[in-house]
Amino acid sequence: MPELPPDDPITSRSLAVPLLVSAFLLILTLGWALYQEDFGLRPWRSYQRRFGEAYSAYLQKAIAGQEAQEKAVYSSPEYLKLRSTAEDLEKAAKPSDAEIEKKIELLDKQRAAMTDAFQDARGRVGALIYDYEIVPESDKSTKQSRLEAVNKGMEKTYRIDWPASLTETKTEKFDYDRLNSAFTDILAKRAALVAQRGENDRPGKEARAKLADYVSQKLPGLPSSTLEGLLHASASIDIHIRQINVSPPGTSLNYLGGAGLVERCQSCHVGTDPQLVPLQMELTKADLGLAKNKDAPFASHPDPELLRIHSLGKFGCSPCHGGNGRAIDSVRRGHGRYEHWLWPLYYPENYDAGCQQCHAADMVTERAPVLNDGRQLFRQRGCIGCHRYQGFDNQDEQLVGNRQQITQLSDEKKQDELDIPRLQKAGDDAADNATAQKFYGQATNLTVRVSSIDAKVEQLELLSHSLQQEVKRVGPDLKDVRLKLRKEWIPYWLENTREFRPATKMPQFRFAPGEVQAIAAFIWQNALTGPALEKQKPGDPVKGKTLFESRGCMACHSMGEGANRVGGTFAANLSRIGEKENYDYLVRWVHNPRQRTRPYCAYEKRDLGPEDYAKHGLPFAFDLDHSRCPNDGHELVVHQPTVMPNLRLTIEEARDIASYLTGLKHPDAKYVSADFMDDSKLKAKGEELVKHYGCAGCHEIRGLEEEGRIGTELTNEGSKPIERLDFALYTQDAKHGVLPDGKASPRGPWYDSKGFFENKLSNPGLFELGKYHPNPMERLRMPKPNIQSKDELNALVTFLLGSVDPTLPPDYMYKPADQRHAIQEGWWIATKYNCIGCHQIGIGQRSVMMDLPQYQGENKINLPPALTSEGARVNPEWLKRFLANPALSATDLNRNGVRSYLQVRMPTFSLSDNEIRKLVLFFEAMSSQQQPFIPPKLEPLTDAERAMARGLFTSPAAPCLKCHATGNPAHDKNATAPNFLLARDRLRPAWTARWLTDPAKIIPGTAMPSGLFRREAGRWVFAGPMPPALQKYSGDHADLLVRYMFSLTPAEQSMLMGRTPAPSSSGGGNR
Amino acid sequence: MKARYFAIAMIVALAVVGCGKKESEQAPEQKPAAATPVDMATVGSVTGSVTLDGAPPKFKPINMSAEAYCAKAHSSPVMPQDVVTGDKGALANVIVYVKDGLGDRSFDVPKAPAVLDQKGCMYEPHVVALMAGQELQVVNGDQTTHNIHPMPKDNREWNKSQPPGAAPIEEIFARPEVAVPVKCNVHPWMKSYVGVFKNPYFFVTGKDGKFDLKNLPPGTYTLEAWQEKYGVVDQTVTIGPKESKSVSFVFKASSGD
Repeated sequence: MPELPPDDPITSRSLAVPLLVSAFLLILTLGWALYQEDFGLRPWRSYQRRFGEAYSAYLQKAIAGQEAQEKAVYSSPEYLKLRSTAEDLEKAAKPSDAEIEKKIELLDKQRAAMTDAFQDARGRVGALIYDYEIVPESDKSTKQSRLEAVNKGMEKTYRIDWPASLTETKTEKFDYDRLNSAFTDILAKRAALVAQRGENDRPGKEARAKLADYVSQKLPGLPSSTLEGLLHASASIDIHIRQINVSPPGTSLNYLGGAGLVERCQSCHVGTDPQLVPLQMELTKADLGLAKNKDAPFASHPDPELLRIHSLGKFGCSPCHGGNGRAIDSVRRGHGRYEHWLWPLYYPENYDAGCQQCHAADMVTERAPVLNDGRQLFRQRGCIGCHRYQGFDNQDEQLVGNRQQITQLSDEKKQDELDIPRLQKAGDDAADNATAQKFYGQATNLTVRVSSIDAKVEQLELLSHSLQQEVKRVGPDLKDVRLKLRKEWIPYWLENTREFRPATKMPQFRFAPGEVQAIAAFIWQNALTGPALEKQKPGDPVKGKTLFESRGCMACHSMGEGANRVGGTFAANLSRIGEKENYDYLVRWVHNPRQRTRPYCAYEKRDLGPEDYAKHGLPFAFDLDHSRCPNDGHELVVHQPTVMPNLRLTIEEARDIASYLTGLKHPDAKYVSADFMDDSKLKAKGEELVKHYGCAGCHEIRGLEEEGRIGTELTNEGSKPIERLDFALYTQDAKHGVLPDGKASPRGPWYDSKGFFENKLSNPGLFELGKYHPNPMERLRMPKPNIQSKDELNALVTFLLGSVDPTLPPDYMYKPADQRHAIQEGWWIATKYNCIGCHQIGIGQRSVMMDLPQYQGENKINLPPALTSEGARVNPEWLKRFLANPALSATDLNRNGVRSYLQVRMPTFSLSDNEIRKLVLFFEAMSSQQQPFIPPKLEPLTDAERAMARGLFTSPAAPCLKCHATGNPAHDKNATAPNFLLARDRLRPAWTARWLTDPAKIIPGTAMPSGLFRREAGRWVFAGPMPPALQKYSGDHADLLVRYMFSLTPAEQSMLMGRTPAPSSSGGGNR
Repeated sequence: MKARYFAIAMIVALAVVGCGKKESEQAPEQKPAAATPVDMATVGSVTGSVTLDGAPPKFKPINMSAEAYCAKAHSSPVMPQDVVTGDKGALANVIVYVKDGLGDRSFDVPKAPAVLDQKGCMYEPHVVALMAGQELQVVNGDQTTHNIHPMPKDNREWNKSQPPGAAPIEEIFARPEVAVPVKCNVHPWMKSYVGVFKNPYFFVTGKDGKFDLKNLPPGTYTLEAWQEKYGVVDQTVTIGPKESKSVSFVFKASSGD
């Protein structure tokens, strides 16, 4: 027998301790799991609980307040009076209502009694008739017998317990006809009785409605009964995952392919659940007594209007706000702030970014001011010059495509033209006529095809013409630098861009030593040297200054730097313009900024000169109406690609302004000579650098007209995976929340798109610091954009953050097919040409001019007109003409076509036909006008009416012609309103009538007085002392004047002029 | 962008393929067959006359008032030339030609062009006959612009304007056709006919109604006479070596009405 080992672990050792420890651990684990279950992994449970408590307390208070108010209102004499009226009326209607009720009850009983019999009879007779119908006409005997069967069937009688009154019933016999007529009779009687009851109840109902109106006016909030219901729901809050689930459109209920949108945000953000907090109610943290609490996501949506437009049930939260709408286990995950979630929650300053996904086709999105600023900056500061962005001005790309198409069609045509004689020959030589005709037919078809190619090319050329007109560049044309600039200024500017012009659009490049010289040399040597500019006589700088400040230049241009800056930011600041620009060039530019030195031919890829025109015996003249190449007939570039319009100034005025501008210099400006610019050895390197830095993205440069954009496309930049954003040596800092300046980031790690965009835009060279590039051309090229403020930076970052590859289904994208589409399109043009620099277009929007010092106080009258009602005001046909030629004259150009009295000038923008079309539609859509416009027919004036209208027109109480221009220069010197002769073509009668009766409603602050008419018995009556004839007139006075205005002729007007006081005689009238 | 280039490349490629196909479809270059020699020692001829049986229809004079120049060019009224007769019913403007019987013979195309003149806004001659491939020279002798618009059935249609003093228009008709109507759309009364034949045996009668088909090799032929209003009449004739035969054609005046 073996000996037992001395220390048998089974017998000698106790497992009590490990078991105890394990048991403890297990219990701890269970406790931990239970805790996690309730709190750790389900933070929303405690949020909902806390919300329920806070909200209940709030509601209790609210109910108390509401009840007190309700009590006050319900006991107020007005309420009691209204209520008793309503009750009396209802009571009065009751007896007759009861009688009607009884009648209806009887009818219903009768109907019920006969229903079975009637259905049976109808079925039987229907079947018999069918049997009769199916017998053919030829079988006369059967037909006859079946007809008899039908008649017999109709004679069959039914015994019905007919309720003669509500209490007694009689048994009566009904045949088919009687049943039928009884049934229709019951229906008719019943309908009449119901109508009678409605009529009977109407006074009572109206009184009830009045009472309800009174209550809702006095008690605007939710009634206490509703609040009680909410209190009940919140006090016993049902803690559960609150989920929005949108199935992909078009899928069935049983679809298992995954939902389109799953959102659980409301599980924590309980205040946004409309079941608990109805949309009519606004709930803030302060309301809940949690104003200072950092962990109380309970407020309702601060802009309920946005939720009304974008219903929560369809959109949820994360499509607009970012974040991971499905994650509910922690705040961080729910908000998507972890490394591999592509769409982290937007910070409040970037909220507008959420609009871009669906509103990518907008240039201006309502309620998204930050995003709108971002888009405008992206376009106007020239980001678009290097970075393509879908939907932003891509006319240049369209043009290239267009040209390729034209070239290809021309090749096709050439080939076809070779084929035609071949086919004809084949026909001539064919063995038989049929074959010959086949070949002849082919030749003829090919001929027709060639002509249809011609038609296609013609259309493409027209489109090119339009597109060419629309192509604008952010920076000036560098072909003209030799004619335009002081030579030494160029290298200075390249190196010290922001010193010369702090707010310039031109970004600051990071040039290596020697690069500036090479670039300057290339640009100088590559520029055009002629034809020489016309030599200009000097102008008057004092007059020039006045013109500059009054003609409207300052809606786009500014003067003075820093705090002294006055004017718009759309175009360059001109404080030091005199240091760089040549007088003769400036005169040409001010006189017509679109004038080119030489037209450019994209097919020959060169600028044409006088010699090209001379070859064809043509003068060297080119403009939008003469834009075809003398050599090959293709469309030329005949305009400077600038958005600056032609102000239609006289040459003297242009000289005055240019004289003023050339005098604007910094007192200490000094330039060192730059002879290296003529060094031909630098040119090649300069060209390479100009291409490298992508200068041709913003500037027109000889030989580089077709250079593409050098930067990354940014359309979907916001959804670029984080690994593809190169943080370079800052990757670790970003992940650990250390800012480039070494300080800790207040929001922690910035290793996300927002962090990248902010730092890249603030300092594009940042992510290159410390990197080694043996080849200097491999360095990051992006120059430092001139971002003027934190707001501008944030606007651009917001725009980029929002630029995501859409994750929502296509039907979420905002691509309206109705008038909103015209608005969407129109804004692109209105912002492209800075219409909003001079005009107020949207309600509430301010133009740049409205804030200029020269248009304050009483000088407001000199502002360009507000266009908030333009679409309703003017005839679109007229607007087309006006936009094409705002002088409204082919010869007299130095004037405003409508407001000849304004100093500020509506310039000629040389808009393309396409742009004019879009703008007209835009204005009409903004004013909800039907398309197309059909002018209403106006009742012609009778002689008596014309006499009355004349009297009213010249009445001292309504001195229309005192302010309105008449075309008589002496009179118009003091005019402040347009000529009535324009009305017929320009205005819409309905708008004119509204304008006459209350202009201040349409344009607050207008010089046109309100209250000229008063409303009297459903018509407008002149409010002042009336000529006797008019006093007896029973028609509408405003309508009379409108009809008179729309029939006004020059002869009639000059006759009126004889009768009205001249405007200079101050206000006395001709009494 | 890439997709667009690709699409363009595809279109170009397709166009090239398409054109290539067209070329291969085309008939191989046909050399004109060498003329079959005619033994001049044995040739004979067919002569005769064409007459109209019955009274010719009555026509109203042409109204040229639409164009002053044309009206002025004539001192007397101009009659339409649909039916022109001479003495004893002799019928002018009839083409008499060998329709059949020459077998596979081929003939040289004359180098000299057939001429169609426009004088006083009338075509002269009213009926032209030529060989397929022979040049037709259209001359404008007027001080007004005409257009020449043949409307063939078998040949290629064309329509060209000819201002006064312009160079003659030279065209050929490649395929035999009796006869191609020719119009001037500017002066709608102007009408002419061009008969196109594959052999040189054709004759356009004058006011005497006589015709003469020379140098016919011996054989049996179907002769046909064509008149613009009355259509065609044919006859068979056999000639031996050096034989000369006489044939007459009669059109019935009522037949065309």
